[in-house]
Amino acid sequence: MDEQARAILQRILRKLPSKKTPSTLRAWGCLSAEQLEDLDYTQPKWLLLENLISKCEESGLRLKDVTKLEMVYHIENPNQGKWHAFKLTEPEDEAVSVDFTQFKEMFVAHLEEVVQHVSIRMKKQEDGAVWIRMAWGDNLTRPNHLKPTYAVHYLQTPYVFILNLSAKHKPFLYQALVLSSRHTSINEAHLSGRSLTAMRDLLMKQYQQVFPNQERTLKERNAPPSHPNIEKEHAESAERTHQMACEAFGDGTVPKLETAVYKLETRYRGSSNDTLSDRDELFRGVVKFSSPNLLESLRHCVSTGMAEAPVTPLLSSITQKGRNYFVIAEKAPGATSQTPAR
Amino acid sequence: MALLAPYTKIPEPNTATILLVESEEKFQSRLADAIVQRENDAIVNVRLARRLPLPVENSETRPRVDLVVFIVNLLSEHSLQVVENSLSHLRSDFFLGKVCFMVTDARCGALTQERLLSVKKLAASHRCPLICAEHQTEDGVAMAASRLLTLLKVSAGLSPVATTALYLSTLTRCTVPSELDED
Amino acid sequence: MAHLSNSTGLAPDPSRELLESSISGLSNRSLRVAENVRKKGEINSFQIALNYLSNVQEGTVVRGNDELERNLVVVETVALRHGLPPDAISLLLDLALSLRAGGVTCLRILKFLIPSSIVPQEAIIRGVSWLCVGKMTVNAQVLFLRWVLTVFDLIVCKDQLRSIYGFIFSFVTEENLCPFICHLLYLLTMKEHVQPYRVRKLVDIQAKMGRQPFLMQLLALYKVFWPELVTLSVPSQMRTGFKNYNSTWKAALSAVQKKARTEVTADLSLSVELKGKSTSRKRKLHHLEVPGLSSAFDTSSERKVYRLQELRSFTQLLQNIHNIELPAQMGSLLGSSLALHYLDCVQDESAFLRLNFWLGHSLQEEFLLCPEDGGLESLSEASTFLSTILSSQKFLQEGFFSTESFLYKFLSVWDGSLLRPQILDLLSHIPMMTSNYLRMFVFEPLVQLYFTSNVFFKCSVIECLNSMLLKWLTWHSVNPLEECLELSVNPNTTVTMTLSRLIDTVTELVNFVGCLATEGLHLENCHTLLLNQTLNFYETVCDMLVKYDLPLVIMPPAGVFYPALLATDSLTVDRLGYIMYRYRKNLTLAKKQEQQNEQSFHISRSTYQDFNKQLVAMVNCLWNSKSFLPGTTNEIDEHLLIQSKVPKYRSRFDLVHHPAFFKYAIEFHQKCWPERMCVDLADIKVGRYWSWYMEFLFCQGFDGLNDFIQVNTGQSSSSSSN
Repeated sequence: MDEQARAILQRILRKLPSKKTPSTLRAWGCLSAEQLEDLDYTQPKWLLLENLISKCEESGLRLKDVTKLEMVYHIENPNQGKWHAFKLTEPEDEAVSVDFTQFKEMFVAHLEEVVQHVSIRMKKQEDGAVWIRMAWGDNLTRPNHLKPTYAVHYLQTPYVFILNLSAKHKPFLYQALVLSSRHTSINEAHLSGRSLTAMRDLLMKQYQQVFPNQERTLKERNAPPSHPNIEKEHAESAERTHQMACEAFGDGTVPKLETAVYKLETRYRGSSNDTLSDRDELFRGVVKFSSPNLLESLRHCVSTGMAEAPVTPLLSSITQKGRNYFVIAEKAPGATSQTPAR
Repeated sequence: MALLAPYTKIPEPNTATILLVESEEKFQSRLADAIVQRENDAIVNVRLARRLPLPVENSETRPRVDLVVFIVNLLSEHSLQVVENSLSHLRSDFFLGKVCFMVTDARCGALTQERLLSVKKLAASHRCPLICAEHQTEDGVAMAASRLLTLLKVSAGLSPVATTALYLSTLTRCTVPSELDED
Repeated sequence: MAHLSNSTGLAPDPSRELLESSISGLSNRSLRVAENVRKKGEINSFQIALNYLSNVQEGTVVRGNDELERNLVVVETVALRHGLPPDAISLLLDLALSLRAGGVTCLRILKFLIPSSIVPQEAIIRGVSWLCVGKMTVNAQVLFLRWVLTVFDLIVCKDQLRSIYGFIFSFVTEENLCPFICHLLYLLTMKEHVQPYRVRKLVDIQAKMGRQPFLMQLLALYKVFWPELVTLSVPSQMRTGFKNYNSTWKAALSAVQKKARTEVTADLSLSVELKGKSTSRKRKLHHLEVPGLSSAFDTSSERKVYRLQELRSFTQLLQNIHNIELPAQMGSLLGSSLALHYLDCVQDESAFLRLNFWLGHSLQEEFLLCPEDGGLESLSEASTFLSTILSSQKFLQEGFFSTESFLYKFLSVWDGSLLRPQILDLLSHIPMMTSNYLRMFVFEPLVQLYFTSNVFFKCSVIECLNSMLLKWLTWHSVNPLEECLELSVNPNTTVTMTLSRLIDTVTELVNFVGCLATEGLHLENCHTLLLNQTLNFYETVCDMLVKYDLPLVIMPPAGVFYPALLATDSLTVDRLGYIMYRYRKNLTLAKKQEQQNEQSFHISRSTYQDFNKQLVAMVNCLWNSKSFLPGTTNEIDEHLLIQSKVPKYRSRFDLVHHPAFFKYAIEFHQKCWPERMCVDLADIKVGRYWSWYMEFLFCQGFDGLNDFIQVNTGQSSSSSSN
């Protein structure tokens, strides 16, 4: 087996937790049942790797098959690395009728036209997601499988999520995507994060949303106190703020975002500091919120009263617009607004 | 702005009402359960609030409040600020023995010691007692509840002995330790 | 590489099968055999890895070097599971610090260098020499020093380390290393190491860095050895001086030690009982563990010095008393009575200083810095720890000053229920201090706790203050303080106690308890238990002159006297009688002493007046049937008495009608006149029936009342001598 294959195998094995290794190898489907039985998953990883490599060599597996394993690994563990979301705009009429085979043929054709050496692998999942793995080479070198790009596109939706794309290859991928999905252009959706599922849920609104004037059933939070003699003074207002918080950020389990970034390009308006205010230059700053689960923490802040309710549109835009990168620019004197960054 | 007043309502017979104010709302529910379970002779009403002023809508149905307890979590600056802001919403005659301060996490290191000192100064300047509570164990919660009940019964007039809340507060009021050398 | 995997590849299969069979509970012989085979396989691979690592040359490439990685992983797994044997430690330490395998490997090795039993001294010496070479990064140097501090107790013999004290001292100028070097020096310093130039150097560094706690701690130790050399003032009681050093290894080290302990049966003769380690994984800080006295010793040491842990009997201690070396971990002395004996005899200041430092540090860490409570386990550990401290203090008959300062801090944040018996017990053992400090540190926090708590807490507090008073009085009666002589009671306080200060303090204490008792009895409606405890206290107070030779007489306040006099149970009245009887004895002795020598103390007139008033009230009440007379202290207005509609109100509290003695009167009446249906207790007061009644009453065991009545009324009871 060549060096790249070994390196990829080593990397995957190192990242896989021991409990998940058997199932992932089984899903791979390239090793026979006896070979899988033979492997001892309690050994230290470097030993297991040696055994695995020898088994692969026995079965005559090559780089192609190893990349298949890598794809299986990524599909089963989509919440790693940094994913960026993109939106395809201005669909043509045929866009709605594009099916998988059509998309695949066109995509491969377009991409191979522009890039000399590129290795593409595509897989369609049951939930309608199309996973694409690309390893880039150029005129002189073979594709580098150690730095693949992954793209996930949901057919019949305009959303694409991309992982590990370098600037050099951006235009090629964009063009291939646009053409094969029958749209006119592709734009950044200003949403990025670790968890692919979270980003997908957020954009496609697949989380528990709460609408104003909705009949609310009593949840755990507002459960009546345990004893008739105990009464909560702020029960109503707590209920109201919780309602507002859920409207802004969703109810129950929310998509797991890690950061929200606000880039300020406004003038300083505070009255405390003379040297900073009343200047014509813009006061550039960046405000970054980070948390293991950002939406849940924001919701908690609002419902416990740490942040004021009703929720400011700056924060609620995260869910309303499905993005976590904002640029706040000066629009007119005395008013700030948000404009999408170019 | 309506201040909470101690004597504007007529009390119910054999009833006492305690108001627990805590901005995080974590300790107060357990404390409320413990208080209600401990007291068998009199009826004890517990009202839980996040801050003062209390919502105006409840003022009709709310009974006369006999003891106001401000619960401060020493690990959170926000908690202390809420309490400081709430103090101005009580009428001044509440401070004649019907207000008490309770702190949790007092044993947690240097930062909490500073906040504890500020709470002590606050309590001393208002002539109120300060109770340290261990909120993590069952026993600690029970002890805190029993101490509050001792204060409550006197301030609600349910004590069998001839004593008033004001008198008890002269015995229990918090004192600020004066500056001492390294000890 | 292939052959390596083969040789270890042999083992997995049989062990997996056997694992399955062991789950079903069978204990096959083949299981053990296979285990041994597996262990041997492991040991072999470990040896091979060590061999490889010892042969690593300078300049070996580390990145991508799979072989090096593999061997390091083998050694690492063994280290984290079982700990490393001493030769492996020397080897690996050398490899790491010589930087043969690079700086990253150095840090990595240091992080998993967990010893299984002991650490050879030569390894540390060589390590220090690598430190002197100076090629290591600052991080690595700091990590090495922290590692030495963590495994310090496991280093076998430290005499060679002590001989290179000067080399270690030279690092004290490095700012990053200074805290840890100071800590290491603190553990190594002996009297001969304290030299003027070293003291000067430390003072210079202090001028640059400020009064850092680690510098102060080391200087304090130097001062203990040579007070003349260290002229600057060092606060006698300091908070924790040294930084946390062992966080990296603590969990792994304790896991390995726990494993080792369960496998080897420890020999516990006279020494410490090893406390079971807490199994809770939530406890990250094992501060409450009184460290066990380790039994490792170096037979090749030249000096014939006995370690404290080697001694097995008291006679051995006596024979070698001049030749004993204290363990490095001073906390281990707390559990062993032998060790405490030695400490007490030798009176080594440095030992006490170190012990107090460790104690203060542990107490602070456990109770005052983010304690993680919630488990019954942790609470029982805490109470055991405090009980150990208590028993050591009782054994030594004196307290540790670090427990004292901890106690004052704890009282101000106490909720009243956490570890109540231990805390109150510790409180009763505090040494005498001036009344100011007593009020500030003890009384003010106690008052706030007392009046908000229930009656049982109130009783416990009074009991605690009673035993505190008893201890002080006993101390005084054994070491009497003269008026003109200033003796320092506690060598660490800056205030010396004189007789007048002692009297002030005791007065303050007695008045405080009087106030607590008065208000407490009022609030608790004269609860019997509380009254009982209060009378216990006054039993101690009434005899201060006669029993303990302290020239002080303080009468109980009215709020204690009258509830006791008018109580509804007979024991209370009896005890009050006893107390008044003793007061009389004390006051007569005082008067006699005053008349005999002019320069003795003077009891104020008001005390005599108070006593007389109370005596008169009591006698009037019980004997003369003239309670509540106008002009006395328990005067009640005639109108109110008439309004109560009680007939013959003046005699309602005499020995016949008193609620406490009512039952006995009725019994007596029935015995005298069994046929009478109508009971008129006034009949008892007539003539000889009265003396018979007195006899009957005092046969019930009311000795105190008997004495009181005898002394004050001259009435003798013929049965009193029985």
